[in-house]
Amino acid sequence: MGARRVLLIAVLAAAVLIGFVAVQNLASSAVYYLTPTEARDRHIAAGTAARLGGQVEAGSLRYDPQTRDLRFTLTDGTARVTVIGTGAPPSLLREGAGAVVEGSFASDGTFRATQVIAKHDEQYAPPSPGATPSHQTP
Amino acid sequence: MNLTFADLGTGALRAALPLAIWGVGAAAYAAAKRDGRALASARWSALITLLLVVLAALAMVGALVTHDFSVAYVARNNALETPLFFTVISLWAALEGSILLWTAILAGAAAYVAWRGTPALPRLATTALAILFAMLAFFLMLVTTPAADPFVRSEIVPLNGNGPNPLLQNHPLMALHPPLLYLGYVLFSVPFAYAIASLILGEGGDRWLVATRRFALVSWGLLGVGIVAGSWWSYAVLGWGGYWAWDPVENAAIMPWLVATAYLHSVMVEEKRRLLRSWNLSLVIATFALTILGTFLTRSGVVNSVHAFTQSAIGPLLLGYLVAIVVLSVGLLLWRMPMLRDAGTVGAPLSREAIFLFQNVVFVAATLTVLLGTLYPLIAEAISGDQLSIGRPYFDRVEVPLALALLFLMGIGPQLPWHGASRATLERQFTAPIVAAAGGALLAVATGLGGAFAVLTYALAAFVAATVVQEFARGIRARRTLHGESASTAFANLLRRSGRRYGGYVVHLGIVLVAVAVATSQSKTVEVERTVRAGEHFDVAGYTVAFGGLRNVSEPQRDLLVADLAITGNGADLHLRPSLVFFPNATQAVGSPGISAGLRDDVYTILAAYDTTGSSWATIRILVIPLVSWLWLGGAVVGLGAVIAALPQPRRREVTHPLVEAPATVGD
Repeated sequence: MGARRVLLIAVLAAAVLIGFVAVQNLASSAVYYLTPTEARDRHIAAGTAARLGGQVEAGSLRYDPQTRDLRFTLTDGTARVTVIGTGAPPSLLREGAGAVVEGSFASDGTFRATQVIAKHDEQYAPPSPGATPSHQTP
Repeated sequence: MNLTFADLGTGALRAALPLAIWGVGAAAYAAAKRDGRALASARWSALITLLLVVLAALAMVGALVTHDFSVAYVARNNALETPLFFTVISLWAALEGSILLWTAILAGAAAYVAWRGTPALPRLATTALAILFAMLAFFLMLVTTPAADPFVRSEIVPLNGNGPNPLLQNHPLMALHPPLLYLGYVLFSVPFAYAIASLILGEGGDRWLVATRRFALVSWGLLGVGIVAGSWWSYAVLGWGGYWAWDPVENAAIMPWLVATAYLHSVMVEEKRRLLRSWNLSLVIATFALTILGTFLTRSGVVNSVHAFTQSAIGPLLLGYLVAIVVLSVGLLLWRMPMLRDAGTVGAPLSREAIFLFQNVVFVAATLTVLLGTLYPLIAEAISGDQLSIGRPYFDRVEVPLALALLFLMGIGPQLPWHGASRATLERQFTAPIVAAAGGALLAVATGLGGAFAVLTYALAAFVAATVVQEFARGIRARRTLHGESASTAFANLLRRSGRRYGGYVVHLGIVLVAVAVATSQSKTVEVERTVRAGEHFDVAGYTVAFGGLRNVSEPQRDLLVADLAITGNGADLHLRPSLVFFPNATQAVGSPGISAGLRDDVYTILAAYDTTGSSWATIRILVIPLVSWLWLGGAVVGLGAVIAALPQPRRREVTHPLVEAPATVGD
């Protein structure tokens, strides 16, 4: 009987511990997922981790192969955000096509991307304007 | 009027639906009344339904191969210039085709149970057959309504189709990954149907479990190999140098696999000790529900991911199906709970059954935490309206410790006897593995593996590997003493005669390979990105990469922009061609990585950017990823172990099947 009780307590303790760790991590790794308009309206504080989804504005994509500076404007038709990153853009990233960027806003209002993810839909065409952002495996 | 493939397919599916509905009634009646004629009718219904659905699938292949663009599915997923191989596998390139494939596999499972129902047909198997018919009827309903009818005609017949999604026609692994997953998903319907049948009949015993454990093992193995094949595809096609991203749909596949793994282990506790009966039923129900949840998440567009291609009417239908299954199963389980008494209690904390119990708790916790992370954005949006995203950090922080705990339990579980272990047993069983674990940790430190988790993984991997070697060594020694066999004969006989046990150990070895591959590749990958002109070269991780320039290559169905790379160093002399692939009907180019795979490391190259004005420069990204090939190898070893464990074993004594039902009025 003693052994059984020890086992039961151990199992319960393990379950509680795992649950606690999961919930703790869930809260700390949830990231806002916003469109440029939402980001503007909510005044997201500089440095807060966020994901931003929108379309790469025509004529805005600049990549300097020597300095590896990447710059483009992400828009949802209403608001625009300048995105600054480092390194070559993913091959799917094109002007007019959808993109998701991960990173945070700087104090000057630009978005410092740690990751740039191009997005495509089933028909492999750019999403229509105003479409909601969506995740994609990098 | 000409009969087209599409007419044939439509007709076959519409004929199959009433037959499957008839099968539900016939099988249920046969089980309730022990009526032989009803049973015969159900059997023939199962067989004819299978033939009709296979005919429909072949008709779809026929429509694809003949490029019949009057069928909307063909027009969307095929083009005149698509190579034959990718034309044929376009059967599962999109929603309707994959549901058709799913239906065909389910029809195969139903026909198998109807004709070979293990081990004797009556009552339990017949009731299970009725349940399988009901599921089959649901899927036939899907493929005969606009929600997922694969043969819907186009309003305007195009001269050429869109062709398959470029990502899908870029690699032959696409031929392997989806069917393996579907087989794994669908074959689990059989253990589920038997479990439900057992609850309906109020049997309370272990018969359903004995009858279906091979099915469970096979579907678990296929699902596992399918998941590894999917990681491999993602690695070889998506061009990001990774193989797992905790994408919602990857999560959807891993969850049923985790619960099924827990089930395969706790089944042993029920067989040996007659414990955990209601727990095992719960695990089977959960596994099956998670396979449907996975399909729902993939196919409803409710969770956004690279796989969630479709937003169609099928979502609500699948959700309804899922809810119905969960409500009915849980209701049945609660109703029959009083009959599901265990025959005793779990032994001491250091007994095999106690470790299985712990292991089950960790597997279920791993599943629930993945589920939580996957569904959290949905829940948060429903409550607060905020769109949130849960990324890798959550999953890595929660699942990695759980995986290490499982690795640890995998090492100690098989080393402990049932009921409890004495001090002498513990010393005998664990001395060598503990020494090995210390060696593993030292090896990790000596090879410069960073991070406590990586060192711990090496230690635990060595620990588990040592227990497996120890078990094989003891088994071989015992056979040599008892039967005077040579070492190799003894080894072969262990696998043949005690396949379930030793196949299980082979699976453990495969998992060890996977763990080592993941830990090493995650902590020791070197990544470099350089912009170079033709003739320039640079060094990375002991390799010298020379860029030979860009060139255009035209193929019938696509154009490529290829970067020529010559890579030397570390004893290698490689020519890799990372490229950008342009498909005629696609608006965007697809990056196709150039990979050289090796047992020591993979050299993974990507054409990241290029000079669109004069092709004078290119940005090349290179990853040197150590031991990543061991991951695919580990997957294959897991599959091999599952095959060894599932193969029928030669009968030694005739007492292994005490539960075969006595022949009733319904004969074979």
